[in-house]
Amino acid sequence: MSQQSAFSSPGFDFSNSVRNNFLQEKGMPLPKATSTGTTIVGCLFKDGIILGADTRATEGEIIADKNCEKIHYITESIRCCGAGTAADTEFTTASISSNMELHALSTGRKPRVVTVMTMLKQYLFQYQGHVGAALVLGGVDSTGPHLFTIHPHGSTDKLPYVTMGSGSLAAMAVFESSWKPNMERNEALALVSAAVSAGIFNDLGSGSNVDACIITATQTEMLRNFVKPNERVEKERHYTFRRGTTAWKSENIRDLIVNEDITLVGATGDAMDTS
Amino acid sequence: MEPSYRIVPPSQIKTASISDTAGSLGLHDTLHYGIRSIATEMRGGQFENRIAKWEETQDNARLHMLANLYGPSAPMRLLMERQIVSASPHMPGMPQSNIHLDILMGRDETLDPTDFFLGLESGPPLSIHNEMEKKLRL
Repeated sequence: MSQQSAFSSPGFDFSNSVRNNFLQEKGMPLPKATSTGTTIVGCLFKDGIILGADTRATEGEIIADKNCEKIHYITESIRCCGAGTAADTEFTTASISSNMELHALSTGRKPRVVTVMTMLKQYLFQYQGHVGAALVLGGVDSTGPHLFTIHPHGSTDKLPYVTMGSGSLAAMAVFESSWKPNMERNEALALVSAAVSAGIFNDLGSGSNVDACIITATQTEMLRNFVKPNERVEKERHYTFRRGTTAWKSENIRDLIVNEDITLVGATGDAMDTS
Repeated sequence: MEPSYRIVPPSQIKTASISDTAGSLGLHDTLHYGIRSIATEMRGGQFENRIAKWEETQDNARLHMLANLYGPSAPMRLLMERQIVSASPHMPGMPQSNIHLDILMGRDETLDPTDFFLGLESGPPLSIHNEMEKKLRL
């Protein structure tokens, strides 16, 4: 009889923890993870949900990615914006997306936003906040449009307009002054752009461009780089070298194929017998 | 585990144990693991215990509630089925997959990170003898 446990292992290996604690005590700093130091927003309007995000990823004080994508795909009409540790948000949302696909196939119904929210909050609660993912989840399902915010420790809020990330205060100020229920699509999109732009210009952790995603009952529209307020100016001089700048003396081409002998396999008409 | 409604593993009193490094005689195996030291015997702490015991604790709560609804035979039956299905005739070193157990445990339609990460780390085991000992020791 095997002594193998019926439960799946947690997937984390703690054998280095003693060594890591020792190194930290000696003064060696932990390596910094790429964070998204972000502005992510979500807003409910007449026909559904609009999600918005900036596109800067930081690594301490350095910008790691000037144009990263923070609006992640969960299902056809559900999207999730992620703030916090970039790897955590990407992996968590991808993993939940896969599980949602399997779940939808199993139930035979269109996936619901509350299902995604429950899966995410249970996963994040299990890891006690060590998975640094602060998420804005929004989508439209058979029960209507829903917008949730999920904090790294697993708490959730259901609200008509939400902001997360380091630029959340700037964005929330814009929302608080201008949001009203049942806005039109253009109005709501302008509001979301304004909120994310407020985060981009007033928070150092957010920057570059504005991404938006409009989710309605019938379709989902992803507006990548919807507003680009920080385009780089064209350089005044050209720094390319013309062809022939470097002189060369001799050329030697070696063909890697020494001897090629082609034999056709199965192409003579031996088709599969499907009778 | 004793029946309880807990869904989160309890925080444990800190202990040092030699169960990880014990050889066949039950003592610390110096030849294999090096000189005995308390620091290496203390396991990772509260967080490690939490995620290691997570599934077991939740499963225990579910079985307890099942016992309240249908009587003590219901969880007993489920546990018996699991035990029967876990009896694997294969070599312990080779990569194993037990789909019947996955179905019984309800994870046949979900994807865990362990499903696609864990296999790559460990190649063939360093000592098949230890693995066989662990398997055949009742």
